[in-house]
Amino acid sequence: MARPAPSPVYTLRGAGAPLNTLHFRCPAGDTPLLFSGSAKGAIHMWDLNSRRAEQVVEAHCGNSVIWLSTLRSGETLISQGRDMQVCLWDLKDGRSEVVDSVWTGSVGFCQCSVLETSPSNFLLAFAGPQTEEIKIVEMPGKNPVCSLVPDAQLGMVMCVQLWKPDSGLGPLLFAGYEDGSLLLWDVTQRSELSRVKAHPEPVMCLTFDPRRLRGVSGSCEKKLSSWMLDSQNNIQLQDCVMLVNPGVSQLRVRDDGRLLASAGWDHRVRVFGWKKLRPLAVLQYHTDMVLSVAFSDHQDPRQRLLAAGSKDQRISLWSIYNQGPDTV
Amino acid sequence: MEVRLRVAQSLRTLSSSADHADKIEALKTLNSFLDDAAESGATSAAEREEFRRAHYSRTLRVGVGLLQVDWMSAAQRSQLVEPLFLKGPPDQALLALMEAVSQLSPSAGLDRLVSVTESFLQSGRLADLLWSSCLQSGLPGSPQLDEALLARLTALPDITANKLRLGNRPLFAPQSYYPLLASEMLAALERTCQALRDGTDCSVAFVAQTLGKVCIQGHSGPVLAVMAPRLAVCTRSDALWQRVCWKLLQNVPERWLEGVLTGLVQAVKSPEAFSRIVGNLALTNKKAQFVLTHKVLLLQYSYETQVLRTVLGHLASDGERRPLLIQVLRSVSQAWANPSAVRHTPLEQQLYVSKALLLTVSLLQDSELQELRSDLLQCMLDGVQSHLDSSVVRVRTMGMVVGECLSSRMDINGTKLRFEYEKDEETRELLSLMTPSLSSEPEPDDGADFAEESREPSASRTTTHSNPSNSDPDPDLDSDDDLTPYDMSGDQETGQASPPRYLRDCLETLMSSEDSVRVELSLRVAESLVRRNVFAAKEISVQMTKVLLHMEDKYSINGFLALRQAAMVALAVTDSVPVTQYLTAEFYSLNYSLRQRLDILEVLALAAQELSTPFADKTSPSSELTSYPASDPAHWRQVVEKRIQSKTRRISKGSTHRGTKAAPNRYAPVAGYFFFPLLRNYDKPEVTFDLLGSDHLVLGRLIHTLGLFMHLAVNAPIAAQMGAALLDFVWAVRYHADQMVRRGVLFAVCAVFLSMPSQSLLVDLGEQLFETRTWLSDVAEGDPDVDCRALAVQSLVLLDNSLKKQLQDPRALSLES
Repeated sequence: MARPAPSPVYTLRGAGAPLNTLHFRCPAGDTPLLFSGSAKGAIHMWDLNSRRAEQVVEAHCGNSVIWLSTLRSGETLISQGRDMQVCLWDLKDGRSEVVDSVWTGSVGFCQCSVLETSPSNFLLAFAGPQTEEIKIVEMPGKNPVCSLVPDAQLGMVMCVQLWKPDSGLGPLLFAGYEDGSLLLWDVTQRSELSRVKAHPEPVMCLTFDPRRLRGVSGSCEKKLSSWMLDSQNNIQLQDCVMLVNPGVSQLRVRDDGRLLASAGWDHRVRVFGWKKLRPLAVLQYHTDMVLSVAFSDHQDPRQRLLAAGSKDQRISLWSIYNQGPDTV
Repeated sequence: MEVRLRVAQSLRTLSSSADHADKIEALKTLNSFLDDAAESGATSAAEREEFRRAHYSRTLRVGVGLLQVDWMSAAQRSQLVEPLFLKGPPDQALLALMEAVSQLSPSAGLDRLVSVTESFLQSGRLADLLWSSCLQSGLPGSPQLDEALLARLTALPDITANKLRLGNRPLFAPQSYYPLLASEMLAALERTCQALRDGTDCSVAFVAQTLGKVCIQGHSGPVLAVMAPRLAVCTRSDALWQRVCWKLLQNVPERWLEGVLTGLVQAVKSPEAFSRIVGNLALTNKKAQFVLTHKVLLLQYSYETQVLRTVLGHLASDGERRPLLIQVLRSVSQAWANPSAVRHTPLEQQLYVSKALLLTVSLLQDSELQELRSDLLQCMLDGVQSHLDSSVVRVRTMGMVVGECLSSRMDINGTKLRFEYEKDEETRELLSLMTPSLSSEPEPDDGADFAEESREPSASRTTTHSNPSNSDPDPDLDSDDDLTPYDMSGDQETGQASPPRYLRDCLETLMSSEDSVRVELSLRVAESLVRRNVFAAKEISVQMTKVLLHMEDKYSINGFLALRQAAMVALAVTDSVPVTQYLTAEFYSLNYSLRQRLDILEVLALAAQELSTPFADKTSPSSELTSYPASDPAHWRQVVEKRIQSKTRRISKGSTHRGTKAAPNRYAPVAGYFFFPLLRNYDKPEVTFDLLGSDHLVLGRLIHTLGLFMHLAVNAPIAAQMGAALLDFVWAVRYHADQMVRRGVLFAVCAVFLSMPSQSLLVDLGEQLFETRTWLSDVAEGDPDVDCRALAVQSLVLLDNSLKKQLQDPRALSLES
C-alpha cells in the first residue's frame, strides 16, 4: 500500500510575483537561506529558521530575475536579469550591493552557468548577443575566454551547464538549443565534441551529474530524455521517462545523486529516483506552473529540503526521502 | 398327516393348556420344524417343507398371541417365540408382523412385536424375502399376495410411524429403512447373478416391482443413492450384471418406470454408467423413450445440468440410440426457437432448454450436423430473433450465447455470429457446455493433499517479502528500490481549458461549441452550476433541458449518460413545474428515439425521488489550508450557546434530544405535474411510437415510473386521485404479454396500495378493489414469471393490511358513514 501523497512542510508567501529561480545557501552553523528571484526584479532572501523574508532587494531595474547562484565562499551572490545584466552582489556582513556586472546582450531566457576554477576565479557561461552564441568569461576579471557558435542553424541557446571532468581535460559545456539539439562543447579547444537531437521541440532545461556522467533534459513535451556520456565524450541517448502532462521548466539532481526533481508546467513537482529514473512522488500544491526547483545543500542529510517556486507566487518546501539511505 | 397332527396338537396345547411346561414343550416342537440345521432326528426335510407350506401362517398367528402374554420370561421368548418369525418363510412372517403391528393397541406386546420386526429387518430377512421371490419364477404366485406383500414392503415406515408415532424406532424411519431396502435389493440381485452363473433360472420381477413402487412413492433419492453407484461399479466389468440390470428395468411396471428413470438419471454420475445400467431400454420401451427424450428434457426443468449431460450422453453413446438424439435435437431446437415459448415459459425452463440444445449440438458429429443444417439454421435464426425481442435481459443474453455457439458449431462459410454481452456465471456455464466434460467418472479422495500443496507456496512467498529495506544499506548500489514511492494516483492529466463559470456560458458551449474539451468540461460542471445558481437556472431551465435531451455523445465523453442525466435531474429539481411540463409533453411527441423517451422517464423518476427526500443542507467543508479556527462561524456560535446555557437557569429540563429537523416535502405540491401528463396520451399511436404495440419496453418503464411517482407521493394530498387514476390506467394492460410490463403493472399496484390512504382506498375504489383482488390472486397463482407472482402476493398482503386497518378503526368507519 503506497503512502499517501506528501504535503509541503511549509510554504513561503508574499513574493508578489512569479518565482523564476531558487537557490539555497545553508552553510553549517549559519542561518540557512533561500534566495528567490521574482518576475518583478525582487530578490528575496528567506530565513529558513524564521520562515520570513530576511531581506528583499530590488534588482535589475524591475526586470525579471531569471537566475541566481552563490559562490562557494558564500559571500557573493550572482543574479541574472532580463535587462541583459549579470550582477555580482556582495553579501558580507548583511550588506547587499552590486559590486560588478556583466552585460550579456542576450534577450533570451537562457540561464547562466558558473564553474569555480579556483577560490578566487570562476567561469561564467551565458548566451551571447548572436542567436546561437554562447559566451564564456573568466571572472572577476571579465576576461572573455571564448565564444562558441555552432556551424549549423540550431536556433537560440536555451540552457547551458559548465562542468569539469575528472580526467583533467579542460572545462566542458552542455548546451541545449531551440531546435532540440544537445551539444557538448570543449571550452578550451572551442570545439564541438558531440551533438544529438534530444527533442523535437526546444530543450527547456537540462541537468548533468558529473559523477555518473549522466544527464537528463526536458522540453515542452510529455517526456524527459536521459542521456549518458561515453568515454569518447559522445552523448548517448538513453530511455525516455514519460510524464503525464507536457512541459518541464527545470530539472535538478540532489547532491547525493539519489533524487531527480522536475518542475512541471502542470503545477506539479515530480520526484524520480536518479539511478533508474523510477517515479517516486508527485508533489501537488501549486495552482500554476512550477518554474523552478532546488535541493538544499544542508550538511545534515535529515534537514535537506526541496523547494519549488511557482507562477502562483508561492514557494513550497518539502521534506522527502531525507532520512538516510535505508529509509522509506 | 404326521406333521399336521403334531402341529395341531402343539397349537392346541398352546391355546388351551394351563401348564406352562406343556406350552414350552409345544413351542419347541414347532421350532424344530423351522430349524434347518437341527439334528435330523426330530424332523425330516419333507416334514419341514410341509410345515412351511401349510402350517406356518397358523403358527405365526399363535406366535403373535404369545408375544402378548406375560407368563414367559424374556429369555424364553427370545429362544422360542422370536425364531418362529425369523426362520420361517420371510414373506409370510412380514405379512403377519405388519398386520399385527397395525392391529395391536399400544402395549408391552406391541413393543415386543416391534422389537421382533426390528430384528427381522436387521437380520437380513428382507434380502431372503426378495431372493425367495426371485426363485419362484416358475411358480404362479398369487397376485393378491404379491400385491399385499409389495404394499407392506414399501410402506413399512408409514405403517410403523402411524402406529407408533413418537415411539417409532430409528430403523423404521424412511432415511434408514429405504437405504436398507436398497442394499437388500442389491443383495438379492447379487444372489441372482450367482444363481444365473450356476445355471439356475431366476426372475427379478418382484425386485423390479419393489424398486418401481418405492421410486414412485418418492423415495427414489435414498434408494438409488445406494443402488446406483454399486450398479455402476458392478456393470463395468460384468456382462451378466448388465443383463440383470437391463432385465430389472424391463420388469419395472410401466406406470412406475418414470420414477425409476428420473431417479436413476440423477443418481448416476456419468452417461457411461447410465448406459451400462439402462441399456437400450429407450428403444424397446415407449414409456422410457418418452421419459428420456421428452419429459426430462422439455417438460421438467428442475434438474441439474449433470442430468442433461447424462441423458444426452446416453443417447449419443450408441449407434442404435443416435436417431433418438437427432429426434431430440429437432424437438429441443423447436422448443428453443418457439417465440411463444420464449414469451410464456418461465426463465428457468428456457435456460434449461438452452442447455439441452447446446449439449445436444456439442454431441453431434459433423456429418450429422450437415444433415440437420437447414433445421438448425432455421432454429437459430428464429430463436435468436425471438430471444432478442424479449425485454428481459437474461433472455436476450441467453439468445446471444446460444446463437454464438450454434453458429460457431455449424461453421456457415466461416461466418459466425458475435454479440456483445456481459460474461457472468450463467453465460459462462452455457459456453462451457460446448466443450465436452473430460472427467467422466471422477475419482474421489485426492482433495486433501492438493489443498496442502496450494497452501505451501503462499506461505513461502510471504516470508520472502519480509522487509527488503534493511538488506541493503549501500547507497551506491545501482537501484532506487529502497526509495518507496508515494501514492501517485492523483497525477492525472490536467485539462487545457478551464470549465465555464456561468450557467449561460455553459449552455452556450453545450449548444454550439465544436470543441470537445470545452463541451466535456461544460457537461461536467453543468449539474453543480445549476444547483449553485438557482435563479439563473430558473431562467433557462427549459431551454437547457431541451439542449441536454437532444445532446448526443459526439465526443464519446467518459460517463456522458450519467453526467447528462445528473444535469437534467438538477434542472428538474430546481425548476420543477416548467421542466416537468416540458419533459412530459415531449415524452409523447414525435421523433424521439426510445432511448430519449427512456431518458425522460429516468430523469423524472430521479427528480421525484430527490424532491421527496428531505432537503439536506450541506455546508461545503472549507479547505483545510485556509481555515482558521477563529473565523469559523460554527465555532463562535457554539461558544455563545454554551455561554447562554451556563447563564440560564431552567426550572425543568426538557428532553435535550432534538429529533431530525422537519422539512417541507418538496415533492407533494408538484407530484401532479410529474404524474398526470404521462397518463394522457398513452393510447394514441404515433408514426414512430406505439406504446401499446411494439414499444412495450417503454410501456413497462412508463408504468414502473408512474408506480414510483405514486409511491413517492405517500402522504401527499393528491395521492388519492393519483391512485385512482393509476389503477384505472393499469387495468387496461394487466394481461400484457410482456412480463416486464406485467411486472411494472404489479409494482404500480403495490405502490397504490402502499401510498393511498386506506380510507380513500375503500371509498374511491370500492368495487374496483374486489375485481383487482381476484385478478391479483389469479396472477399470484398462475403467472409464469416468478417476480410477477411474488409482486402479486406482495400487493395482496398490502391490500389486506390496508383494508383490515380500515375496517378495524371505528373512527374511520364513522367518518365513512
